[in-house]
This record gives sequence, structure tokens and C-alpha cells, in this order.
Amino acid sequence: MKRNSLVLIAVLFIFATFAWAGWANFEYRKQAADRLLASAAKGELVVDAAGEAPEYVSSLTGKAAPTFSLEDLSGNKVSLGSYKGKAVLVNFWATWCAPCKIETPWLVELRDQYASQGFEILGISSEGDGVGRDDKAAWEKQKAAIAKSAQQMHMQYPVLMDGDSISDKWGGLDELPMSFFVDRSGKVVAVQMGLTSKADIEGNIKKALGN
Amino acid sequence: MNIGARVAIVLAMGLGTALALGQSDSAARSVLNGAAVEYLYPEQVTVAAGKASDIELHFRIAQGLHINSHAPKDESLIPTTFSIPDGLGVRLDRINYPDGKEFTLPLDPENKLSVYTDEFVIQARIVAEAGNHLVEAKLHYQACDKSVCLPPKTITVAIDVIGK
Repeated sequence: MKRNSLVLIAVLFIFATFAWAGWANFEYRKQAADRLLASAAKGELVVDAAGEAPEYVSSLTGKAAPTFSLEDLSGNKVSLGSYKGKAVLVNFWATWCAPCKIETPWLVELRDQYASQGFEILGISSEGDGVGRDDKAAWEKQKAAIAKSAQQMHMQYPVLMDGDSISDKWGGLDELPMSFFVDRSGKVVAVQMGLTSKADIEGNIKKALGN
Repeated sequence: MNIGARVAIVLAMGLGTALALGQSDSAARSVLNGAAVEYLYPEQVTVAAGKASDIELHFRIAQGLHINSHAPKDESLIPTTFSIPDGLGVRLDRINYPDGKEFTLPLDPENKLSVYTDEFVIQARIVAEAGNHLVEAKLHYQACDKSVCLPPKTITVAIDVIGK
């Protein structure tokens, strides 16, 4: 009788401990997500009560994509507005970003696959080092490094520089890669943070195309 | 083993498992907005003035993240570097970085990266002038986890160097 009671108490204690750990985990993740949201008009990591891996949700989803006009590697200005009527993947990347190097070949393939349906990618380099147009030597050096990476990864789509200058409008870009899927009307329909999978990206391209 | 000991073992195992589950990957995510690398110690060193002295600088990387070693295998990756600004009464004479550990991203197992994780130690040989010097050295690094990279960052490494 005494032994059974001890076992019962032990089992109840373990259940209680698991319940407490689950609740503490949920609260911790919720607070982390709140802090992220409060830090800027940016995305947040949303978790469910089951404590699954957080999903990135951007406050830009469902809204008009922020406008920009940036230089491409030939020095021409490229604006998002000029792509109205097309579905556009605005992909922020950096030359030093290893996950970006895995993702980019997927993007190249998907661009080839869906270009005929009115799909384009704008690859915006965000080096995070504060180099701007005013520092000509540093700018040219950075441009050469970006061009080299773009060539190595066969990026046939427009590659733009100085994503850092527009990062606030796009939620801070504290993590790379970051992809915004813009539909034909210029509205952000999906956002992906980090390396996910080619299938995820393709699904969001279809969403942007309205398929 | 008596029943009390058995119960104690079961309780300890249950508690340990529960705590591990509770922490999961939230630790890695929590640093996305903070510093990925923290300087641990020493806060103060005493060395012979005017003579080369070896010191060991200890750093900790946030759980779930890694930073490139001083010699990353891909030239486009940003190496970890340590420096001491001029004019602080302390000169960096020589520096030895630890070897990086091989690391692969799950989606690119063929490409081996050279990284630091957890804690690492930089061995520096410094020459200090006589007197007390509050040195604000710099550690430059770039951190990632398995799917996301953070922008490059420079942190201040504050060391009180006493040259006697």
C-alpha cells in the first residue's frame, strides 16, 4: 500500500512538472514574440499553445509592399513599382550569408519555371555594414563582391544594392535570408524568414501569381 | 535499491526531461535581437610593463548559434577578428585564434564550414606601458544558426590592463 502511494505520487509529480514546463515554455515564447513585435513594425515569431516551432509572421502581410528605388549592378535605378502587374519575390540576401547560398539556386530554378507566367525576382543585397554611396571606394568594392557572388550563383534576375537603406520599411531585416512575395497588385501575400525549402518558396510564388 | 531511491531517480529523470523540453530552441531564437557573442573573462590582467605577455580571452556564443572561425573556408564569409585600437597604452603583439570546428548546414551537407560554437579562447600576446589602461578591444564576427544569419557585428571587449 505504501509502495503504491509512492509510485502514484511520483507519477503525479512528473505530470505536474511536464505541465509546468510546457506552460513556462509557452509563456517564454509568447514574451519573445511580443518583444520582437514591439521592437519595430516588423514580423513576429508566433507560437501556438502546443509550443511548436515559431512561425514568422510579418506585419506587412496583406498590405501594399513598401516602395523602393535601388541601383542594380550596372548602376541603373530599379523600382518595385515598375513591376506592377507581375508577381515579384523581393529576396533580401548577403554575400556572407551561407543559408542564402543554399536558397539562391532554388530561386534561379523557380524564376526560370514561372517567368512565363509573369513572375520576377528582385535580389536585394543587404550587407549590414553601413556602406553607402558616399563612400565611393567601399561602394565599388562591395559592388564587385556582390557581382562576383551573383555570377557564381547564376543570378539572372535583377540584383540590387544597398538593401540596408530600405530595411526599416521592410521590417528591419535583422535576419537573412528574408523573402517577401508580392502579388500582381503590389500587395505582400507571404513572407518567409530564413532557409525553409524550395517547396515552401514555390507555394508562395503560386500564391503571388494567384494560381 | 529500496523504493525511496527508485522514486527519487524517477523524479529526477522526469524533472530533467521536462526542463530540457521547456528550454528547446527558444534560447537560440531569443538572441536574434541581442548579442550572439559574450565576452567572459578576464576583466583585469596584470603584466610586466614593456614586456610581451600572453593572455587568454574567453568568449561564449549563444546557444544554437555559430560564428565563422578566423579562417572560414569560403572567402565570402566574414572571419572572426580581434583587435586593440591604437593609443590605449597596450599593443597587440601577436594573436592566436583557435581552429574552427567543421560544421555543415542540414540542407547542404557537402559544404563544410569552419566555425566556433559554445565557448572559445583567443590567445593574445600584448605589450603594455606602465600604468593602468582600460582597454576597449574589439571582436568582429558574423553569426548564424542553421537557417538564418544575423548581420556582422563588433562588440567591445573591456579589459583593465595593469602594467607594472
